[in-house]
Amino acid sequence: MIPQLDYIIDKILPAFVTFYLVSLGHSIFEKSGILNLAIDGVFFTGTGAALLGAILPIIYNIPISPPVMGVLVATLIAAILGLFMSSVLTFLPISHGAVGLSLQFFSYGVGIMLGYYVRLAYGTIYGVSFAREDVIYLSIVSLVIGVVLHLLIERTKIGAAIRAVGENPHSAAALGVRVMAIRIVAGMIGFALIGFGGALFILSWQRSWDVKLFTLGYGWLAFATALAAGRHPIVLIPVSLLFGGLVNSQTDIQSRLGIPADVAKLTPFLAALALMLTYSTTRLRRIFASPSSLGKPYYKEEKSI
Amino acid sequence: MSSPLLSVANITKTFPGGVVALDEVSMDFHPGEFTVILGENGAGKSTLVKIMYGIYTPDKGSIILKGREVEIKSSLDAIKKGIVMVSQIPQLIDRLTVVENISLSLTRIGMFETMTRVRRFFKEVGEKIGIKVNPDAKVWSLTYTQKQLIEITRAILLDAMVLILDEALTYLPLEERRKFYVYLNEFKEKGRSVILITHKIPEALEIADKIYVLRRGKLVGALDKASANVDKIRDLMFGETAKTITYERFTKPYETPVGDIVLNIKNLVVEGDYGEIAVNNVSLSVRAGEIIGIAGVVGNGQRELLEAIVGLRRVREGRVIIDNHDVTNKGVKLTRESGVGFIPDQPLRYAVSADNNIVENVAALFSRKNLVVNWKSMRELSEKLINEYCIYPPRPEIHVKLLSGGNIMKTVVSRELEYASKALIAYNPTRGLDEATSTFVRGKIKEKAVNSKLAVLFASEDLDEVLQLSDSLYVMNRGVLYGPFDPVSTPRSKIEELMVV
Amino acid sequence: MRIVLVRRKKPLKYGGLVVALLSLLSGIFVFTIFAWLIGVNPYPVVETIVTTFIFPGVVKDFIILTLLGYALLIAFKGALWNIGAEGQMHMAFLASIYITLIVFFTTEKSLPFYISIGVILLSIVAAVAAGALWGGLAGVIKAYAGVDEVPVTLILNYIAYFIGDILVYGPFRGTYVYGYARTDLIPDPYKLSIPVQRQLSGNALIDTVTGYIVEFATYAVWIVALILVLIFTYWLLNKSNIGLRIKILGSNPDYLVSLGYDVRKTTVLTFMLSGAIAGLTAALYYHGSLYRIEYPLEYNTASYGYLAILVAWLSMLDVYLVPLSAYIVSAVILGSQRVSSLPSVREAFIRLQLGGAEMAFKLLMFGSILLAYSILRFIQDYELKVVS
Repeated sequence: MIPQLDYIIDKILPAFVTFYLVSLGHSIFEKSGILNLAIDGVFFTGTGAALLGAILPIIYNIPISPPVMGVLVATLIAAILGLFMSSVLTFLPISHGAVGLSLQFFSYGVGIMLGYYVRLAYGTIYGVSFAREDVIYLSIVSLVIGVVLHLLIERTKIGAAIRAVGENPHSAAALGVRVMAIRIVAGMIGFALIGFGGALFILSWQRSWDVKLFTLGYGWLAFATALAAGRHPIVLIPVSLLFGGLVNSQTDIQSRLGIPADVAKLTPFLAALALMLTYSTTRLRRIFASPSSLGKPYYKEEKSI
Repeated sequence: MSSPLLSVANITKTFPGGVVALDEVSMDFHPGEFTVILGENGAGKSTLVKIMYGIYTPDKGSIILKGREVEIKSSLDAIKKGIVMVSQIPQLIDRLTVVENISLSLTRIGMFETMTRVRRFFKEVGEKIGIKVNPDAKVWSLTYTQKQLIEITRAILLDAMVLILDEALTYLPLEERRKFYVYLNEFKEKGRSVILITHKIPEALEIADKIYVLRRGKLVGALDKASANVDKIRDLMFGETAKTITYERFTKPYETPVGDIVLNIKNLVVEGDYGEIAVNNVSLSVRAGEIIGIAGVVGNGQRELLEAIVGLRRVREGRVIIDNHDVTNKGVKLTRESGVGFIPDQPLRYAVSADNNIVENVAALFSRKNLVVNWKSMRELSEKLINEYCIYPPRPEIHVKLLSGGNIMKTVVSRELEYASKALIAYNPTRGLDEATSTFVRGKIKEKAVNSKLAVLFASEDLDEVLQLSDSLYVMNRGVLYGPFDPVSTPRSKIEELMVV
Repeated sequence: MRIVLVRRKKPLKYGGLVVALLSLLSGIFVFTIFAWLIGVNPYPVVETIVTTFIFPGVVKDFIILTLLGYALLIAFKGALWNIGAEGQMHMAFLASIYITLIVFFTTEKSLPFYISIGVILLSIVAAVAAGALWGGLAGVIKAYAGVDEVPVTLILNYIAYFIGDILVYGPFRGTYVYGYARTDLIPDPYKLSIPVQRQLSGNALIDTVTGYIVEFATYAVWIVALILVLIFTYWLLNKSNIGLRIKILGSNPDYLVSLGYDVRKTTVLTFMLSGAIAGLTAALYYHGSLYRIEYPLEYNTASYGYLAILVAWLSMLDVYLVPLSAYIVSAVILGSQRVSSLPSVREAFIRLQLGGAEMAFKLLMFGSILLAYSILRFIQDYELKVVS
């Protein structure tokens, strides 16, 4: 095998797929106007759920490939979280940030419970994870999902509805949009993709799990990239490639430049911060504007002056 | 007379704070008729139609559509039942295109469909009523009139049985309104019903077949075309307070002498929210004791102009000079400390802190320079304002968010008028206030101008208000200022002509 | 027949209290459910949590969380969600370590009083400055670049961890410690805790009371600081102009702009005040209890910075209620940790091979209370009505 190809398959693609799916899901979720501060928690729960799903075929003799089952379970559990968060925040006029942050911490706990059992009972995850070359197919699948979602959002009525709800749910409702239904759809699809990304993080990239994983903070890196890329499914592709490469090549960067490990770990976060700053202080902010009603509590019977 | 298409019976609605918006109101709307619901601000007309459109839920009462009692759970539900509403503020989403907005209302367009069919529908109707709007244009780039036209198009495409216009045409000049009446006649011909909400008597008399008058949430009169006249309606609308209401001028223009120039605007160019030019080379000056009014349809740059003068918006070119000091782009602080009061449009959003009480809101403005706030004197000041302007409930510790809209407005106006020592900048200073209070506020502004030699620059979408209060008036259209004009001698039609493209 | 959400005519009386209480109960309930799911009898779980309210070990957490609660209260009043208390504390640790271990390091067992005090004060000042600067950094980014402060403060937390890690592995590495990557112990003269001894009497009630007295005595210095911070916060928010500005910033920043105040400067100032108090807390913690920091950094603060969020919210942003809220949170969280040492829980852990998942318990408890609170908040201003 050509060494560069090996490098891409082993280092670049797994990280790319994870980051892309997570930021894509987050983008879809936020397009409907709900601020997602639970991103890291959902991501982490996805990792734990994926583990649980991966060993189910072995325990119960289900004829589905273990890693695929892992993905399914992770996606399902994440979608349920998405359903919960989007419906609660649309029905009640409460703080998106508060609910999101709480859900993050709660999901950390859930993820640990889900993953720890598997980790201790089965030790190595290699047996139930994706094969090395599978990452190529997974990348193609994610790219297809991204393109489809992009077309859906920009060209179709449902995409217009999602964007409308994100810009101004009151006007959208007056125009005849079913705000709750749209938010739930965007919410479930969005979180499902984040869960998918989390599953692939374990089953295709890391192939090992640890309690301490919840302190990684990769969800927040995805948050920053989604923000700067304007939550645009296509623009996110190169950005995710960049971040994925940055994160996964830490050891290489470290050895090549001779810097301590912790400095290398620092880089993606500094990059994320820099990215957010660049976005906010340049024209990018207008081109890639956030939905106008992002994070605003929604109360149907507002009385205005 | 055929049976009514739509009826409301015994509708009652109370809002938090104990405000009774509607009290046992019943009305009938017949096919092929223009019904006008007339009432001053706060009378309950808007609440009533929002109930008919599924935005509010009534505490009591029923809605009867084509003889059957129905429940309207949401706007979508109302649309499905054939009721469509167009509001004063277009309910279109700025960042979406025209066709995208329209597609959201059309149930015959599938969720996964693209905009092709919608474009076709739009063009068909558009040709019929003569709209020249690019279907793929983003809504933020359109004028107010164009947006309202699109709303009407939407109503036509939705095949509305009942079309409700909630002050949708009230702030358009007469000529523009006449264009709409032509399309609305289409509805009438087809046996549909059109309900128009307004607080302007002349507008009602322009097209009504039937007029209902609301006052303080109660139905006080039902007149048909033949028996309706201005005096009768005035009595019904205002009752005893009719005596305190007037659109008559307080004085002749420039009856009291004015002083030196306080506010000097030179060749101002200002950008709007989307990067477009909102204010195009505007120059004007205001002297001490002078009241300058700017008339214009909403969205022609008045808001951006006033914001730029106060320092809330960046000035691209030109100068703003207050009392011979150049304050251009030097920030709001300098302007405010020069003794400038500011009443913005949408005061609830920009001019109060709803979670704080009246004293704190007052202290924020008056206690600027001190490290420690003198709470005692702030409280006294608040009490003075409450008394003078009859703010209800008359307690300074009450959180602003618990006040009614009108009382919040009074809090803002009183505070700013009290604070202003050199100049007052205001946009729609009496929006949302009932007529009696509006007259009172305008009187106060006039009083301050005359007694304290305050330079007043205000913009209003209400032409009557501009004509009543100004010594000199301008018209703003697409960012360009026309004038000055004498409010008494200039024919109204000429001013209205200038307000339109 | 459907359920409609309507605004209350008047906010629910004692609504805040009701919400806080309900959230606590919901949180404990969810936690107990999880315990039950792994086969633990709910009764001892609840009992443990309840008894922790009169457990002397709570005092230390209580003081720390009250201090941090005030730090966050100031920011939250301005609607600035300072999730970065962790990072602000870490930067403060680093500043204090620099002063005590690098600049004024000593191996003496005791030094003249004025030198000890001097160094301690200097260390505190450095910590406060570090916290204020790190907070101010977040404030600047939010104010001048308009980036949402939650991801910014979170990312700054991570960056602070890594900076700390780098320093602890490098120049701050302990020369008197072997094998571990951590700093040396703080020199004795700079310790702020008062060593108090007591005899266990065997009587549970007496022991509990003496336990409390011991704790209060040990951390007496902290309590003094606490009272000072309380007074300062009260004065700031209720009497001063700055406090009014912060409150208006939190309620309607647009209004603040039209008044002529600089929203950006107010934002940065608020963050600096918040970070400063966090820094003070970190200094006190380091001098009085922690004595050294180890690698990796995240575990040094036991997530106090995040727990303080709950403290601030449960206090309904009321200056007087912060200590009460802090006490309750300390008790509940400590309770959840004590649950994981119950024999039945240990057994369940082993059975399910969940050993070491105490962290999960703490997070679940914290997360569920926080979640319950953020959802139940609506009860204060809204109610559910059944409409026919």
